[in-house]
Amino acid sequence: MSPTTELPKLLSGFTVIPVAYAKSTHIIYARPHVTKSKKLTLPADRTLFLVNIPVDATDREISLFFKSCGRVERVVYDRQGLDDEQLAGEISESDDEDEEGTGSSMDVDTPENNEEKPRKKRRGPKDKKAKPVPPTVVPLPSVPLRTLHKTGSSAHVVFLDASSLEKALVAPLKPRPWPSSEEPRGLAHYAALYASRRPPLDVVKAHADTSMNLFEFKLAQAKQKSAYRKGEAIVDEDGFTLVTRGGAYGQTLGGGVGVASKTFQMTGMTGSKKKKEPKEKEAFYAFQKAEKQRKALLDLKKNFEADKARIEKLKESRRFKPY
Amino acid sequence: MDALLPNVRPKESRKAPLERFLLTLRSHLLALPSIRSQNPIAAARALSKNGVSVPFALPNPTQETKWTVSFEPPSDLNVVGSWANQINVKKKDGGHFGVDLTVEMPSSMFQEKDYLNARYFHKRSYYLAVIARSISTSLQVDTFYAAALGDPRLTVLVLRPRRGSEHDFFNSHAEVRIIPVLPPSHPIPLNRLSPSNSNVRNQSQSQLLPTSSPSPTPIYNTALLLSTFPKLSLLSTNALVRSSPAFSDAHALLRIWANQRGYGEGSMCVHGFEGKGAWWAAVLGLIINGEDPAVGRTGKAGARRPIGKGLSSYQLFRASLDFLAKRDFGNDPAFVKSANRHMFPPDEYASKHCAVFVDATSTLNLLADVPLTSLDMLRYDAQQTLEQLIDSISTDDIFTDIFLKDQTHLSKRCDAIIRVDLLRVSKYGSAVDLMEYGTPDNALLSAVSKVLRCGLGDRVQAIAIFHPSSNVRSISEISGPRIAAVHIGLVYDSENALRLVDHGPPASEPETENTKEFRQLWGDKAELRRFKDGRIIESVVWEVNTSDERAHIPASIVRHLLHLHFGIPAADIQTIQTPFDAKLRIRDDVSRLHQTSGSFGGFKAALSAFDGVVRNLKALDDKLPLSLLNVSAVSEHLRYTSPFSPFPIPLSSSLALPTPLRYLAQIPIILEFEKSSKWPDDICAIQNIKLAFFETIATALMASTPGLRASVYIGDPRGLGVQDHVSLEILTAEGWAFSARIWHDREATVLERLIASPKTQPLFLAPSSCPITKYQREARHALDVYTRRLIHAPRHHRAVSDLSHRYAAYPGTVRLVKRWIASHWLLGIHITEEVVEIICARPFVGTNTMLPGMAVSVPRSKERGFALVLEFLKEWKPEDPLFVPMYEDNGSFTKPSVVAVSSKSGVWTVSTSQDKSGRMWTSCGPDAVAAHRLRALAEEACKILQAADADPYGVKRLFSHATDDYDILIELNPAVLPRYHHNVDADPAVWSKDRLGHATDGEAMSLPGFDPARMLFDDLEAMYSDTLKFFFDIYGGHRIGAIWLPSVSGGHSFRTLGGFSSIPAPKEEKKKGKAKGNVVLNQKSVLDEIERLGTGLIQKIVLRGQS
Repeated sequence: MSPTTELPKLLSGFTVIPVAYAKSTHIIYARPHVTKSKKLTLPADRTLFLVNIPVDATDREISLFFKSCGRVERVVYDRQGLDDEQLAGEISESDDEDEEGTGSSMDVDTPENNEEKPRKKRRGPKDKKAKPVPPTVVPLPSVPLRTLHKTGSSAHVVFLDASSLEKALVAPLKPRPWPSSEEPRGLAHYAALYASRRPPLDVVKAHADTSMNLFEFKLAQAKQKSAYRKGEAIVDEDGFTLVTRGGAYGQTLGGGVGVASKTFQMTGMTGSKKKKEPKEKEAFYAFQKAEKQRKALLDLKKNFEADKARIEKLKESRRFKPY
Repeated sequence: MDALLPNVRPKESRKAPLERFLLTLRSHLLALPSIRSQNPIAAARALSKNGVSVPFALPNPTQETKWTVSFEPPSDLNVVGSWANQINVKKKDGGHFGVDLTVEMPSSMFQEKDYLNARYFHKRSYYLAVIARSISTSLQVDTFYAAALGDPRLTVLVLRPRRGSEHDFFNSHAEVRIIPVLPPSHPIPLNRLSPSNSNVRNQSQSQLLPTSSPSPTPIYNTALLLSTFPKLSLLSTNALVRSSPAFSDAHALLRIWANQRGYGEGSMCVHGFEGKGAWWAAVLGLIINGEDPAVGRTGKAGARRPIGKGLSSYQLFRASLDFLAKRDFGNDPAFVKSANRHMFPPDEYASKHCAVFVDATSTLNLLADVPLTSLDMLRYDAQQTLEQLIDSISTDDIFTDIFLKDQTHLSKRCDAIIRVDLLRVSKYGSAVDLMEYGTPDNALLSAVSKVLRCGLGDRVQAIAIFHPSSNVRSISEISGPRIAAVHIGLVYDSENALRLVDHGPPASEPETENTKEFRQLWGDKAELRRFKDGRIIESVVWEVNTSDERAHIPASIVRHLLHLHFGIPAADIQTIQTPFDAKLRIRDDVSRLHQTSGSFGGFKAALSAFDGVVRNLKALDDKLPLSLLNVSAVSEHLRYTSPFSPFPIPLSSSLALPTPLRYLAQIPIILEFEKSSKWPDDICAIQNIKLAFFETIATALMASTPGLRASVYIGDPRGLGVQDHVSLEILTAEGWAFSARIWHDREATVLERLIASPKTQPLFLAPSSCPITKYQREARHALDVYTRRLIHAPRHHRAVSDLSHRYAAYPGTVRLVKRWIASHWLLGIHITEEVVEIICARPFVGTNTMLPGMAVSVPRSKERGFALVLEFLKEWKPEDPLFVPMYEDNGSFTKPSVVAVSSKSGVWTVSTSQDKSGRMWTSCGPDAVAAHRLRALAEEACKILQAADADPYGVKRLFSHATDDYDILIELNPAVLPRYHHNVDADPAVWSKDRLGHATDGEAMSLPGFDPARMLFDDLEAMYSDTLKFFFDIYGGHRIGAIWLPSVSGGHSFRTLGGFSSIPAPKEEKKKGKAKGNVVLNQKSVLDEIERLGTGLIQKIVLRGQS
């Protein structure tokens, strides 16, 4: 569309990095990662924030692309599943939201970790805290496959040292070609994907069993942790009894004394759907009766007029020429 | 109704010039000089010098005839017919009002014997020709001949105004028709014109068989009687108009109704109703005055009583429809009550005419030359309209249907349409027949109608022969053009239409009359057969191999009979079915390749395979922790509605097939286990348990059933685990692929709880790992999928398969419509298959009240159903909510009030009684663009279908998709698409060439449901949903079309979450003063990315404007 020489070096504080494609030039926008969030998860001094990464970019490709600047420790992608409030924050402050949840972190330099599913990994730190060692989950096998990103999405690149960040932010004079990693593309990708979604049965079995073990373990843990026992009234040190709401079938978890349901609190109605009989008769006195009749007549008339108007309108809207 | 009527009546203000012209004409005609008698041939020669021919009737006069023709000024002139009674009704296609002017020929011109051998008609023709000559030379009007049905005996002279001349009555939209008639005191004896008399003497016949009486000529006699009719009819109709105030309105309504259905004049008319204007008035006369009780009817129903004269026009209209719908004129002659006795005894009519309707003047049988088939069609139409009237609650919408819409469109009226070229007919009737019917065409068509009615019998409710009505011709032409082609429309009877065997009379030693007739009718197709119950019967058996062929039986009967009796070559008889069927069948060479493996496809086979799987699953009972309660099918393959009939590909033969033929559809099923308290209360754990279940089932199934393969499919592992993403894939030994899911009823509760209070998030996930709202969104999505896939889909499946059993044409209709929508790149992507099934049910189950199962308006062939659905799609505005009562068995129900909801992603509201909101299948499509596009396509398709009445092979165009509208066209490599053989115009070269290369390819496996094109499409759509809108034919399409969304065009200010691939705007644009930091869509790099994504799949990407 426009030759590279015409591209500006900076755009709203972002460095413009052109990438040479087969027939065209793709643009990646980059700037240092800034965050105000308290949950500091990415090192501010050596993280590069990229916008508009190629849709099929892999960790390997990104690190290859920035090889000239320095080694890349890991890449964190933003998924489209950003929450609305986060989205709003992102727009005003460009980027300071907490990516931990939406991104999956992977170590590029330790490929064996790649095999592990992110979901399992995330559980890691929490599991370690627990005293009894939780059963480990046998992961489903995974083949290195491309994860496709929505077009125009962003990513954080964490370099090994801070100097690489500055190097990366210098706008290159010439567009560099996009490297290509060994993950299959196109038809081969789909064939591999098809195969990988159907793992061997024994692995499935192992995975299912171990994850159920983990679940039971956690359930037990949660039970232990919660102070409440079913059926026991909880009295604190001041002698107050804890009052709780029951679950769907009365009281499930924890003790305490039952209290009115939420719907009752809000509407003041009990759950029973029985309709109350009107206390007073509506047409007890003669004048009430007459009024009622008059009203019915008036309504009828009004409806009739409305119908007539409607038909009039209908007539106007339609041509009555058969042929 | 009041708004309608003035539009079809002549305008009062414009009559004055016409009246003036009539006066001039009268004085002109009365002043004509007489011409002395001369030989007819010589007289005709004299006239032809002036460019006027004489339309002699058959048998043509010869040189040596003894009688002569002459001309004398008319004894009287009268304006008769509907104009005089002021009950004129506008004709179709901008036809003129006809002002009938009778010219009484003086009685001195005629002799007693003139009734013989068309002598009267010759005299009449000559008389008319003389008038034509004088008018064309001396008055400034255009003169034409016209004849109803092209019958020369009924020729009239038509005068049309010339613009700007002194007799310019152009604005009155009228034409004057001069009809020569007999004077009241003519010498021809009426008793010689009774239906049983023969008035055509064939010389050769009388010489050979002097003793036998010649066959009667009722139609000839009627044509003669018609010359005495106009004045009498004028009087009787006038009496009706005066006696019943609503008569003229009712007549107008009836005529409009009839005209809209082609009983009159127009480009596509039912044979026999041309020039039958007086009959409609007479029908109303019968309604008002009642039938003649004196006729002594033997039927169970007594004569129709007169109904009150004070009825409103609508009541009269309805009563006459009722009469038309119930009366079978063939078996049950109708006689209007008349003041004096009828001229001829009723039995005589009944035995000689096929249909009888004798009017009040008792002169003639108005239906003498209308074939019974046409009357059947009329009855069918009347029944249909009555049904609509009874059903309707909201009247205005029915009104349009009955009076305002053109209903002559054949494909919407008839279940089968057969176009017959008449140019190569080799067998005509005898000479007597020709004289009886007036023209060869009429003789032929009435014979065709008789033979077909006999041959099709109770297979059809009605047969109709359609052709364009005859037109006016110049007065220099002796006869009008022949009819080149007719369309035969069949309305099937749902029970008998597709019967395989036609039974005839039982065999007996001396051949009875019946047997002979049967053998004559069917020719060599008739054979003696012995049936299971021991009877030996003459019968005709129609061989069919597939159910598709079975649907062709009525058409092939027509073909056989026409060929046998009239020598019409089979190539001249075409139906619309063949091209339609071709679109639903896998190509022959492909299915042959498939069949070499020894497996058989079809819906029946799929169902039995399903039953087999269910049996296998139930047999595992003791190996599973919970017992299997129920297995429900949810696939279109198991409810007869997938466009292609399903086909198994066994593991062994899969390798031998070339890639473009290898696609094996998966059939989804749903397993339901008994309730158990052991299920966890956590959604992720539930999904895990499902996984464990599947693993157990898979292992057990493979152990118990040899040849069966089972595997567990795990969907996108990146989600949070809330989704129901695992399924069990089963590939049976015969090669059927199933994909099973588990329905667990607690899931909904758990999900709802998750949505309502996000704090109770699943234990399985670390609490800090993800923001809470994300859960809710995921859970909401999961709940949507859950209700759609596990609750509504089985219900929908049951309803649809019920409908398929109830209405034989329903599945075919759905298949055609699906195929059509898919071929326009909308199905499955923008429009779900389920909603197509619901919409297709509409013409079958009606809209307001449930029609009784065998209602007449229900289409009985898929072609007609398709046409009806198309018409509906054309007219349906997406804003209107639609309700389809597909779940109700019968009886009435209350129509729920549905509010049309539309969102950005879906604009249709299609509700059923199970889905009151009407959003179940339409919440994610079609959006406004797709819905609008579908409407435009439907409109185009309706036009094509209408044109297809004339040329059946135009149907192919319905399924070809114009790609000019797409900005981008991504062309895929057909050789690697396993589904390519489903393509609308699949090219066999792709797989025949491919075959050689792949024979050695050992690594290929059977991959049920593997469709890389669809996967690529889904990926593209997921990634570029904010940039491009994609379109694709899911049935083996090899091109993906896309348009740029308007929201990304032009400059935008740079944002980190712009949602599209951008490039800084070129400098010149910046100078125009747009905001700083503007970016524009980087189209080229997007295309490059797409090409990279589809490596190996995409051949090239074509932009609009290129190539």
